[in-house]
Amino acid sequence: MSKQIGDVILNVQNISLSFGGVKALSDISFDVREHEIRAIIGPNGAGKSSMLNCINGVYTPQQGSITFRGQTFSHMDSHQVAVMGVARTFQNLALFKGMSVLDNIMTGRNLRMKSNLLLQSIRFGPAQREEFEHRRKVEEIIDFLEIQAYRKTPVGQLPYGLQKRVDLGRALALEPQVLLLDEPMAGMNVEEKQDMCRFILDVNDEFGTTVVLIEHDMGVVMDISDRVVVLDYGKKIGDGTPDEVRNNPEVISAYLGTGH
Amino acid sequence: MGFFLETLLGGLMAGMLYSLVALGFVLIFKASGVFNFAQGAMVLFAALAMARFSEWLNASGLGNLWLVNLIAFAMAAGVMFCVAWVIERLVLRQLVNQEGTTLLMATLGITYFLEGLGQSLFGSDIYKIDIGMPKEPVMAFESTFPGGILINQEDLIAALIAACLVALLSLFFQKTSTGRALRAVADDHQAAQSIGIPLNRIWVIVWCVAGVVALVAGMIWAANSVCNFLWPQWLCVLCQW
Amino acid sequence: MNTTFPRLLQQHASQRPGFAALREKEYGIWQTLNWADLFIMVGQMTHVFARDGMKRGDHVIVVGANRPRLSAAMLAVQTLGAIPVPLYQDAVGTEYVFPINNAEVRFAVVENQEQVDKLQEIQADCPTLTRIYYDNPRGLRNYPAQALCSLDTLLQEGAALAVKSPQFVDQQIKAAQADDVAAMFFTSGTTGNAKGVVHTHRSLLDRAKAGADFDKLTSREEVLAYLPPAWIGQNIFSYAQWLCCGYVVNCPESTETVTTDLKEIGPTYYFAPPRVFEGLLTQVMIRMEDASAPKRGIFNYFMALARKVGPSRMDGESIGAWNSLMYGLGNLLVYGPLRNNLGMSRVRVAYTAGEAIGPDLFSFYRSIGINLKQLYGSTETAVFVCLQPDNQAYADTVGVPCDGVEIKVAENGEILVKSAGLLKGYYKNPEATAEVLSADGWYKTNDAGFIDSRGHLKIIDRVKDVGRIQGGANDGAMFAPKYVENKLKFFPFIKEAVAYGDGRDRVCVMVNIDFDAVGNWAERRNLPYAGYTDLAQKPEVYQLMLECVEKVNADLSVDTLLAGSQISRFLVLHKELDADDGELTRTNKVRRGFIAEKYAVLVHALYEGMQQQFIETAVKFEDGRSGSVSATLTLSDAKVFNAVERAA
Repeated sequence: MSKQIGDVILNVQNISLSFGGVKALSDISFDVREHEIRAIIGPNGAGKSSMLNCINGVYTPQQGSITFRGQTFSHMDSHQVAVMGVARTFQNLALFKGMSVLDNIMTGRNLRMKSNLLLQSIRFGPAQREEFEHRRKVEEIIDFLEIQAYRKTPVGQLPYGLQKRVDLGRALALEPQVLLLDEPMAGMNVEEKQDMCRFILDVNDEFGTTVVLIEHDMGVVMDISDRVVVLDYGKKIGDGTPDEVRNNPEVISAYLGTGH
Repeated sequence: MGFFLETLLGGLMAGMLYSLVALGFVLIFKASGVFNFAQGAMVLFAALAMARFSEWLNASGLGNLWLVNLIAFAMAAGVMFCVAWVIERLVLRQLVNQEGTTLLMATLGITYFLEGLGQSLFGSDIYKIDIGMPKEPVMAFESTFPGGILINQEDLIAALIAACLVALLSLFFQKTSTGRALRAVADDHQAAQSIGIPLNRIWVIVWCVAGVVALVAGMIWAANSVCNFLWPQWLCVLCQW
Repeated sequence: MNTTFPRLLQQHASQRPGFAALREKEYGIWQTLNWADLFIMVGQMTHVFARDGMKRGDHVIVVGANRPRLSAAMLAVQTLGAIPVPLYQDAVGTEYVFPINNAEVRFAVVENQEQVDKLQEIQADCPTLTRIYYDNPRGLRNYPAQALCSLDTLLQEGAALAVKSPQFVDQQIKAAQADDVAAMFFTSGTTGNAKGVVHTHRSLLDRAKAGADFDKLTSREEVLAYLPPAWIGQNIFSYAQWLCCGYVVNCPESTETVTTDLKEIGPTYYFAPPRVFEGLLTQVMIRMEDASAPKRGIFNYFMALARKVGPSRMDGESIGAWNSLMYGLGNLLVYGPLRNNLGMSRVRVAYTAGEAIGPDLFSFYRSIGINLKQLYGSTETAVFVCLQPDNQAYADTVGVPCDGVEIKVAENGEILVKSAGLLKGYYKNPEATAEVLSADGWYKTNDAGFIDSRGHLKIIDRVKDVGRIQGGANDGAMFAPKYVENKLKFFPFIKEAVAYGDGRDRVCVMVNIDFDAVGNWAERRNLPYAGYTDLAQKPEVYQLMLECVEKVNADLSVDTLLAGSQISRFLVLHKELDADDGELTRTNKVRRGFIAEKYAVLVHALYEGMQQQFIETAVKFEDGRSGSVSATLTLSDAKVFNAVERAA
């Protein structure tokens, strides 16, 4: 299986982020190439989610900038980031609890809707036709994630593993170029993890979506990622292919503690 | 027994009137998590606008009652849209992601502002709105209970309008994609933004809809009694229950 | 019937082209395929299969859930005179090795990537398998193309070939005879290797028609095809009878959506094994316990009424004016909504078979107006041997011999069947064939039973399993393990049971609790538990099991034949018996011999009178990896009742 990994699509430069006195990220720089699967790993509290939040516009870094497809930003808001083609999932899920699975994923199609909000308020004419098109796309995603049985179930009632799938589905509905996944396999058992891996690989393979994922399961990281960034206490301590990173002494000591 | 039912029905329908105002609260709270203290003021502002517009229209010679009311309603709605847009631009946008209490205080400020603006724009006298609602009460169930039960036709129509409005809004929220986006925003701002829902535009829409609801509420209240700037305070207090 | 499956398809396509033949739910909507389009699709597939070298007499395996294109593939294979062999889609890859090599299979038609992966894993052991056609392309984009071909591509190529030789399909259809082999089904067999049951067009269609006539099936029936195609029942209900009557077969979206799809389709003709009916009832009961008091009150009142008069009403007997009125009210408030919730509002005929069904369960469904009946048959008899007529649906029989079937009972109690629907033989296994098919056409069913006073057949157990107690208080008494196991399984709390006693001095039993039912029971008593193994070891659960066992004993004590089969000791297993671990067959029948070996230490402990026994068992996870589960099990004694003396 040969995959064409392209040029740098996302470049993170010298990002530093502090909350009050706590330095969450110190001078982090790394790049992400198009079509690759980039993993961000590190012990708890290393700043991985904060990094993703910076890319996503949830946090504004005090220093540094992010370049996406040649355009450099020091500050973006989440909405603009989504418009640019970056979608994300959340570590603790941020699903719209009161809505059904179908509705949750349909909200993800919002960006792709061409008729404006006003026309959409009354389901008439072009807005109605569009609704059908989007419904079809969403059904494809539901089929892809194998959650047909739960279309109409309110997401609050679903077990955790399925909620995570819906989260992924909603992000996929944006048809993003870059997918940011924050611990997509947290709390899953072996079979659920295998399914999730399969979905991520299929998305990357079929649609060429670039994937940046935060993950704790070393097996998964070594298996599916093309390159890995390692963070520890807000600093970057490793960057390279899974094998390179695995043999990096700093990485080893960060995970196992010094003296090993 | 007959008297009990009469009082019961009367109370229920009065409740419907208050629910019209409460609808506006619920809308804004559901869609933006803001407790809108200014809802009462919006009802007043809208009603005042409509009252004055219909007066001006009448004075300028337009005879037909329905037409006058329709145009006045449309104009007042337009005014409310402007109000919504201005509030979003000048107040809400600056206070994104702030705490609930901050936003509440902001709406308090909006209340005073709207009251004052209303009075200076439209005057502080007592105004009437006449939308042609029948004033005579109706006696129902005359065969079952001696003398029948007194039902106020106005109240009945108001209750019907309120019910329709609720049904319409439910349909809007459940079946349209804008409605869906609104529900998404109400649930989780962060997530909604992350999937590209334009928060600002959504808020304008919500306040516009709330404005129209306030207008309908004000119109019915005014038709029921009179339109007076003393409303906002006690309306707010009552609706908070 | 003197015709073939492809010929029937051709008839429907020419006489009723626009009528719906198959439906599939895709992307949330039901997509319909009519007879004309189906015939065209089958034709296209036939062309490509022929071009790829499929010949008359070739065996082709078909693996997947029910999908219109897989049914079309089977018809295409039969058009060429080749033989489709459906296999269980849930089986592990190694289970396919024997059938493929036994039938020297060269072609396979499968549903998706999962099946393709399984076949490629065993490729080394199956040198004859050279070509795999698949329906759903997801995940298969980057697989090397030589051996694989997608049905999408196949249909396109077929369309081109069809234009070039339009007479081809017709010629093939004409060349087929009713006595040609139509399909082969491998019986999983409770012991030993699987055997390929060979059926001809005539045998399958004969039985299909007999069943259709018995229940007056029309072309307007709606059937949901949710059982595995490898099982002969599925083939009869959704393939043979489908082509015979021309009704509509609906394919559900996925295994998880079956219950919703059932409600959406509202089938008129339905089959499910007893455990499905049991599962549905358990769900209803569990949800009812959560309902508010007034609802529960109404439910209980009307269910009591239904229990009293429902079955008689269904049998056409009069139940009195007041009861009729109340039943009508009950229909509105309880039975109608209940039927709707189960998806059975339009069911005209529902069958169950495969194992015994609890009398309470059976009458529950009949009492709320669902025409549930039992039937008797097997893979070798193309299903329909005995059927229950509409107004004679008794809980403890399996029906009367239907059209074209003769039954006699041998001296040892074994049931013998003669019918046009019998198998042609076991594939490449003349010894096995000779064992079951006598020279004058009688088939040995291996079941022991008798015909009761009403003319209905009653099954006791598998002939070779019926044993005798040796030694002890009941020396010489008949022991029928399945009979005992069924009685235990009639309780919703017991999912599976294995009984031993042949050649022993008493009967001992190992049971599996039903996790849903017992879990619910435990929760209502505020009994916390941490999973199946933990729940199964709780003393309160043991007490519950003891009550069930003793009720069975009480029941058995009044049975003339089987009073000696009462249970003396039992234990609750720490893990569910599973087909993946070889303990059950793919149709969920217990493999007593295998279990006796695997759990030998437990059986020994039971008979030695020990109070506790540690056991460690190997388990196989769904992805093929192995693990182990262990526990220390408590062994319990149960009270045995004296056989009640019956008046002569």
